[in-house]
Amino acid sequence: MTETAIEAAALSMRFGRRRRPALDGCAFRLPAGSVCAVVGPNGAGKSTLLSLAAGLLRPTEGTVTVLGQAPATARERLAYVAQDKPLHPQLTVADTLRLGHELNPRRWDAAVAERIVAEGDLDPAAKVRTLSGGQRTRVALALALGKRPELLLLDEPMADLDPLARHQLMAALMADAAEHGTTVVMSSHVVAELDGACDHLLLLGAGRVRLAGPLDELLAAHTLVTGRADASLAAHTVVESRTTGRQITALVRPEGPLGDDWQTTAPSLEELVLAHLRAPEAPALRLDDAREAAV
Amino acid sequence: MSTALPATAAPTTGRPPRGPRGLTWTVLRLHRTALIVWCLALAAATAVLIWMYAIGDEARRGMSGCATPATDGLPSCAAVDAITADETYSAFLGLITTSLSYVIFPVAAWAGGALIGRELESGTARLAWTQSVTPARWLAAKLAAPAVVLTAGTGGLLLVNLWARQDDDPNLVGDWYLPDVFLATGPTAVAYPLAGLALGALAGLLWRRALPAAGVGFAVTLALYNVLERYRDRLWPTATRSEQGEFELPRSAWQQDWDITWGRYPGEGTPVSTSATFHPRSHYWPLQYVETGIVLAVAAAATLAAFRLLRRRMP
Repeated sequence: MTETAIEAAALSMRFGRRRRPALDGCAFRLPAGSVCAVVGPNGAGKSTLLSLAAGLLRPTEGTVTVLGQAPATARERLAYVAQDKPLHPQLTVADTLRLGHELNPRRWDAAVAERIVAEGDLDPAAKVRTLSGGQRTRVALALALGKRPELLLLDEPMADLDPLARHQLMAALMADAAEHGTTVVMSSHVVAELDGACDHLLLLGAGRVRLAGPLDELLAAHTLVTGRADASLAAHTVVESRTTGRQITALVRPEGPLGDDWQTTAPSLEELVLAHLRAPEAPALRLDDAREAAV
Repeated sequence: MSTALPATAAPTTGRPPRGPRGLTWTVLRLHRTALIVWCLALAAATAVLIWMYAIGDEARRGMSGCATPATDGLPSCAAVDAITADETYSAFLGLITTSLSYVIFPVAAWAGGALIGRELESGTARLAWTQSVTPARWLAAKLAAPAVVLTAGTGGLLLVNLWARQDDDPNLVGDWYLPDVFLATGPTAVAYPLAGLALGALAGLLWRRALPAAGVGFAVTLALYNVLERYRDRLWPTATRSEQGEFELPRSAWQQDWDITWGRYPGEGTPVSTSATFHPRSHYWPLQYVETGIVLAVAAAATLAAFRLLRRRMP
């Protein structure tokens, strides 16, 4: 059995009594060493989930464990980059990295952090307040990677970056993760930036888990079918279907052979995610070893 | 290499040669501007006090008795009038004394705003809490480092102030029971800013935004300051003196109440008896100790509340 990076059971988070819960009974398991994309529409609970895993929030109900510990006790082993990349504006880049060293004395790897900063052509003496959004993202990621985390939680990490920097930082991130076996959990609503980088998917909608599991297994469980509008898909689970004229296109979870009436293709990650986003009522599918998660 | 050093919040243990480390370094570096401003203010105040000490003798000559023309060893009044050192001495000592008694206000606003509120507002507190330090240790360092700096600063300035005041001539430096003189000449001078620090930090944790927290910190300490000033005379039992006829209390007595019993014609002649309640000079230290105790208790309660609040909020 592989080790578990994050395990959530009946995890709920509510901000204020009157408001809709940000997370509502989430359960999933993420094996260590995977690179997981957390996707979902705005307000789906992605940021809340990452904050809970980072030990910054106390769940209203349920539990979340990271690396086999409570998040608050696993602080030293995880790194977290919040969506707004908070950094101290009055510090220089060099002092920001020194802060990482001073606050993580047992783990800090200065070479890694300095390399990421240097790749962005950042002046170590520049004050953080003078940096652009993308440059701040780079410093925040350098701070996170310099800690040598076992679990890296990134909330919308690439939003401020230009395409070139995004590509380069993503490559650096993935190389680093592959080299050290770091588990990376990355939230985004730009599905394209995750394609090719992730091997696990967690799709959230309205605070619930919609899809969870290894990406290839999730993709294999779905088929994109095209056929005549009067043909029946009743035997299968239809995630989403669209009719154009006399033709119907649908994303289905086949429960058996589809028959010759249908043209089938394998969906891409983007098609899989978009179909589920367009059909919020589609049933959830979990392929993440539910026996262990259903505590 | 230094990577093997433990992350220590206490500056006292295992200090490596290159100055503070870990959270202490972080707190001092983040609030370097405030530290510099504080040190400059202390240096300026100390320089002024040294100057005051230097002109102290001249100032006392400017207050001496005089005669016109100079007789019996008394200097001539024209010569005494010509001495301006006494006015300079009074004005600057008064300024330093008042400033020292007001340190609590900027400290509370800074603690609520820059120290805690801004970190919670901008999310940099979450940055610290996802490094290898727990929120409780973060708050401990945030309070301990400024507390040490404040105590050293106000304590030092207090001693220099007492030295510059020399014989405490009330004509030059004000009576001991004047609010700012009282607060700037004893342990209260050290206790008040610590209460400001704790109350400001608590306001920062409660409001989580810099500007409201700074305002609330300032307002709460203003209330504390005024309540204690209002009720200071009740912090220790007063002395009472009753005599037949009338009498006067010495200047060093802090008068609270006069009760005059008149004979048949009130306001005319001599009163039958007079009764006065007051704090003699000897009550200075009991009053100081009680007030310092109250203020430190407020500081301790606010600190405890801040830690409990943080613990309740964080997992």
